[in-house]
Amino acid sequence: MKIAGEVKDFSIRDFLENRKSLKVMARDIQLAVAGAKLAVDDAAVEENPIDRTRFGVSLGAGLISSDVDELALAVIRSVDESGEFSMKIFGEEGLRNLFPLWLLKYLPNMLACHISIIHDAQGPNNTITAGDTSGIQAIGEASRIIQRGDADIMLAGAAESKVHPLTIVRQHLLGNLSERSDEPKKASRPFEKNRDGLVLAEGAGVVVLEEISHAEERGAKIYGEVVGFGSSSSACAPNKADADGQGLARSIKAACADSGLNDGKIDYILAHGLSCPLSDVAETRAIKEALGERAKQIPISAIKSMTGHCGAASGAIEVIAAALALKNSRIPPTINYEENDPECDLDYVPNEAREFAPRAVLVNSFGFGGQNSSLVLRKLK
Amino acid sequence: MRGNTNRRRAVITGIGAVTPLGPDVKSTWEALKEGRSGVGPVTLFDASTFPSRIAAEVTDESFKKYLPDVEHYSQAGRNTFFGIAAAMMAAGEAGLDHAVKDPRRFGIYFASGEGIADFRNLTTIVQNNWHGNGVEMPALLTQGARVLNPLRELEQEPNMPAGHLAAIFNAQGPNLNTLTACAASSQAIGEATEIIRRGDADIMLSGGAHSMIHPLGMGGFCLLNALSTQNEEPTKASRPFDRKRDGFVLGEGGGAVILEELEFAKSRGAHIHAEVLGYGSTCDAFRITDMHPEGRGGIASMRAALEDAGVSPEDVDYINAHGTSTLVNDRIETLSIKKFFKENAYETPVSSTKSMTGHLIAAAGVAEIIACIMTIQDGVIPPTINYENPDPDCDLDYVPNQAREAKVDVVLSNSFGFGGQNVCLVVKKFSK
Repeated sequence: MKIAGEVKDFSIRDFLENRKSLKVMARDIQLAVAGAKLAVDDAAVEENPIDRTRFGVSLGAGLISSDVDELALAVIRSVDESGEFSMKIFGEEGLRNLFPLWLLKYLPNMLACHISIIHDAQGPNNTITAGDTSGIQAIGEASRIIQRGDADIMLAGAAESKVHPLTIVRQHLLGNLSERSDEPKKASRPFEKNRDGLVLAEGAGVVVLEEISHAEERGAKIYGEVVGFGSSSSACAPNKADADGQGLARSIKAACADSGLNDGKIDYILAHGLSCPLSDVAETRAIKEALGERAKQIPISAIKSMTGHCGAASGAIEVIAAALALKNSRIPPTINYEENDPECDLDYVPNEAREFAPRAVLVNSFGFGGQNSSLVLRKLK
Repeated sequence: MRGNTNRRRAVITGIGAVTPLGPDVKSTWEALKEGRSGVGPVTLFDASTFPSRIAAEVTDESFKKYLPDVEHYSQAGRNTFFGIAAAMMAAGEAGLDHAVKDPRRFGIYFASGEGIADFRNLTTIVQNNWHGNGVEMPALLTQGARVLNPLRELEQEPNMPAGHLAAIFNAQGPNLNTLTACAASSQAIGEATEIIRRGDADIMLSGGAHSMIHPLGMGGFCLLNALSTQNEEPTKASRPFDRKRDGFVLGEGGGAVILEELEFAKSRGAHIHAEVLGYGSTCDAFRITDMHPEGRGGIASMRAALEDAGVSPEDVDYINAHGTSTLVNDRIETLSIKKFFKENAYETPVSSTKSMTGHLIAAAGVAEIIACIMTIQDGVIPPTINYENPDPDCDLDYVPNQAREAKVDVVLSNSFGFGGQNVCLVVKKFSK
């Protein structure tokens, strides 16, 4: 467990005007704030006056572990004469080694709160903590808020840093991590025969969702339309895998049905593609179960082969990849694909990006905890 | 569409709770009517030297008899146990066993807080790997991998209770967890209502569960100076709207409601407690640490909920306040109610059940909605206890100290999360 997908050359200072709030921002919050700023700039949200009460935020987040060094000082200063940690000393003295606003730095709802403050988004506001599906669920729920008329613009997505000592230990204990530490770039190999686990990473994905007439009136550029959202549970004990992919198949079917697109319209898939031995098989089965014979004709990309697994953020980053595929008519590859796995027998766009103009993209995510979710994006005519 | 009268309607057909006042709804409601406090000295860990060493703990463990298949979540935290027990009670009361025809149309939108960190092992690995001015990270990782329990670590993720609930009830539909601090379980109920309205499910299990009564939770709130330090008289420490209030009292617990689409509930002859008529969600978008001084977000949230419900301020018979017992919240919540309700503000009873339950954080909203449902059913408004010293800034009718009989059809429940996320719900006595 020595490798990870880290966001390098990142300084939150480049994204922040009011640096006073910096000290209450855990890495997850910093990534979210940066993602939101990039999305707002890209969409040119502020070029026209907008109704701040109809501007909302729907952000997915993970469990944020506290900084070990920060906590360590409070623990070390709470040791009694016999060298044992003493709760009495901790309450009286140790605690004071943490800064007064310490707790606020690690609350999962603070991603959405900081973003709302920075962008003056006073409308509907939610924080989805649905494990690895948080990103897609947050974007799906945001699209529902727009559909029901509660907001015109939503900042939606998720952020998480899984590159944290306690998170790494947690995932290691669960046996989920790739042990290919000597070849970091080759460690994440979704759907490939020699895959041996996921690679932890960090990141943020934030999109601006906008009611279509609102976007058209202000002449915004449009990447695509969110036409389908499905959420389901595998309804099996969360620490057991949904080996048949039945749960994910249900969320794919629900998203496809919601999209109203006839059979055959979905022509590209951004997979969850975790690079874990069992879950990639389950996902392959789910795609076949939900889309039938056509599954073999649909190209499927697993960008975690390149990004690693960004936890809550991963689904949101994959939605962005889907939007870019719609816009650029080019689809990203699944890298490190060297040997076929007979149980994963679909077209995973191996190793090379491909010129291809998808019309409708399915994005999948599922996670420990049994949550599954799928989103369908369509190219706007 | 807000207030659309042709839309599908969501009604509540089952309720369940585990609170500091009792291991079920009945005992909790009796205590609320009696005006009994659930606050006492912290017993879950040695808090004797913490600035605040009182809390509203769940002391009656008999709720555990409701827990099925515990072997699947034996390493889970208290939040999970509270949530599952509450859900079992709600499902039992609703007669859910016979109600679910298509498990794909039965979903879960929960509001569980994070589980409880393995503080003991955490301190051990930190201590063992301290090298004078920092921790030796590789050694800490290696030791951590040896001493930490993998399932216990996994169970701390806030999405786990929703996963367990889906497995227990075979609920294959939408499955989400929200964690908007103190507003979370109100938000879960509001969003679950929206899922039923838009037709993505016919039955939703919603609610929340949380316990922050642990060294890092209590410690963190102590550092924020958010907790009452009236340690000498624990039962008097939570005193919302009273001039001598000095912070909230941390509570813990879980609550669950079964929401059903109205026609679905009627067709199976379910008993209907009440209808979720309105939901409003907004953000202060002001400061991380402070509420907007004019109550901007809270007012917008009340307005959104009432508009969604299609009712006016004069239709509201009772307001269950967020009423945390902090200096600022209670002042600004009062101001917000006055600004939005105008002349009706003084005519509308407002009470804070947190005066008795303490603050259940993510589970607060659902505990309060259940209190609202019981208020509608019994025609009794629970009091704000410990109300002794009027505060000129808080001059509404807080139903001081004694429960009050009243005909209550429409209730507004406020939940304002720190960070600025606000949720309001309107619940109404069911009528065709």
